[in-house]
Amino acid sequence: MVEVKHLTKVYTTPAGKVTALADVSFSVERGEIFGVMGLSGAGKSTLIRCLNFLERPTSGEVWIEGKNLATLDRRELARARQGIGMIFQHFNLLKLRTVAQNVAFPLEIVGERPEAIRARVRELLDLVGLADKANAYPHQLSGGQKQRVGIARALACRPRLLLSDEATSALDPETTQSILALLKEINRSLGVTIILITHELAVIRAVCDRVAVLEGGRLVEVGPVAEVFSRPRALATRRLIAISGLTPARPELASDVVGVV
Amino acid sequence: MRELLADAALQRLILQATVETLYMVGFSLAIALVCGLPLGVLLVVTAPGHILPQPKLNAALSSVINAGRSIPFIILLFLLMPVTKLLVGVSIGTRGAIVPLAVAAIPFVARVVESSLQEVDPGVIEAAQAMGASPVQIIFKVLLPEAWPTLLLGFTLTAINLVGYSAMAGAIGGGGLGDIAIRYGYQRFRDDVLLETVVILIALVQAAQSAGNWLARRAAKDQRRFNA
Repeated sequence: MVEVKHLTKVYTTPAGKVTALADVSFSVERGEIFGVMGLSGAGKSTLIRCLNFLERPTSGEVWIEGKNLATLDRRELARARQGIGMIFQHFNLLKLRTVAQNVAFPLEIVGERPEAIRARVRELLDLVGLADKANAYPHQLSGGQKQRVGIARALACRPRLLLSDEATSALDPETTQSILALLKEINRSLGVTIILITHELAVIRAVCDRVAVLEGGRLVEVGPVAEVFSRPRALATRRLIAISGLTPARPELASDVVGVV
Repeated sequence: MRELLADAALQRLILQATVETLYMVGFSLAIALVCGLPLGVLLVVTAPGHILPQPKLNAALSSVINAGRSIPFIILLFLLMPVTKLLVGVSIGTRGAIVPLAVAAIPFVARVVESSLQEVDPGVIEAAQAMGASPVQIIFKVLLPEAWPTLLLGFTLTAINLVGYSAMAGAIGGGGLGDIAIRYGYQRFRDDVLLETVVILIALVQAAQSAGNWLARRAAKDQRRFNA
């Protein structure tokens, strides 16, 4: 589904070159929920933006459904992006459009007919449980409702891949749970592959099949969630577990963690 | 002096001058919007890091606009006379004043549009890009609609500035309220005429501002943002 090979991203700033990602490689299977975890500044945001080329990698390759994004021209890239949904920490809704109009937006972009848009929007609002808010404006919604609009919008063009950029980080724990449940439901019923980035270990534990740990732009560990959390190999992973307050499965690791922190 | 001009005739002149002012402001505003809006959009989207980065074009455009804005209007009036003659056939009069007024307002509109579009949340632009929207779609479906209430306030500001500038057009026989105020009110010591033109000008500006505020508030779905 997704294959990332030797991905490197270097930013040139007035202060010099900053390496945001260094030689990152991993692959994500169809139907999987794949989490990328790391502290802020670890390169998570850059990584997820490289997956739909909002950021162009400095070197390395990103393959989505057998297509190398770097080889696509402008039009082909736009088409590829239409098959990749994305949701954001701050929702990024159009504030002068209603809920229904926001969900209709990507369908307008692809030039869908108005009747087809109306029907699809109704379907999507039912799916995310916001049928009664179709004519509300974003400022009239709670954070959780806004993210539901974001999810409906991201699913509008029936993507096979959904990218989630800290989608629950601006939400309270209870709302986070309901959004995660919705993502899991979408993954199961629609078969959408999900890649999510987060700094919250609880999010990974709640929904992900596999997890990758990013530290200082390098991928330090990848594996099934249960395995990584019970037998963390990388120092960064142990540190993240310690910060989150979860106790590692093996007591002897606890002392290491204390040593690290 | 008073007997030289019957009051009724003077009132007709003031009415005519009001119409002339509206005519000059209306036409020059329309031209300035048609030319300034695309310039402003270009200024935003070609900036580094935006949807169509063209740093050289952007810098060039910005310098030209700054140059345009730094010429005092009274000088622009005379500077543009040959151009005006070429465009509208006359270099003086109400019609002749429209050209310099529009030319003065174009760079102003471009900056107003620029600052309004810069307020659009970059996250929303990124979301549209992630959906595969083209730069043209982003301009027409994201930037302009999302900035619309702010743009309306900026256009109102432009209209009001043009009312002020149009008063100077009297210098080239442009007519209008400013012209009446100077020739009859000031030069013939008719304080009542001076006062009347000032009152009309104030009323015009107030009306424009109220209309602009009302339109902007109506366009902003989140009304709290524009309850000044």
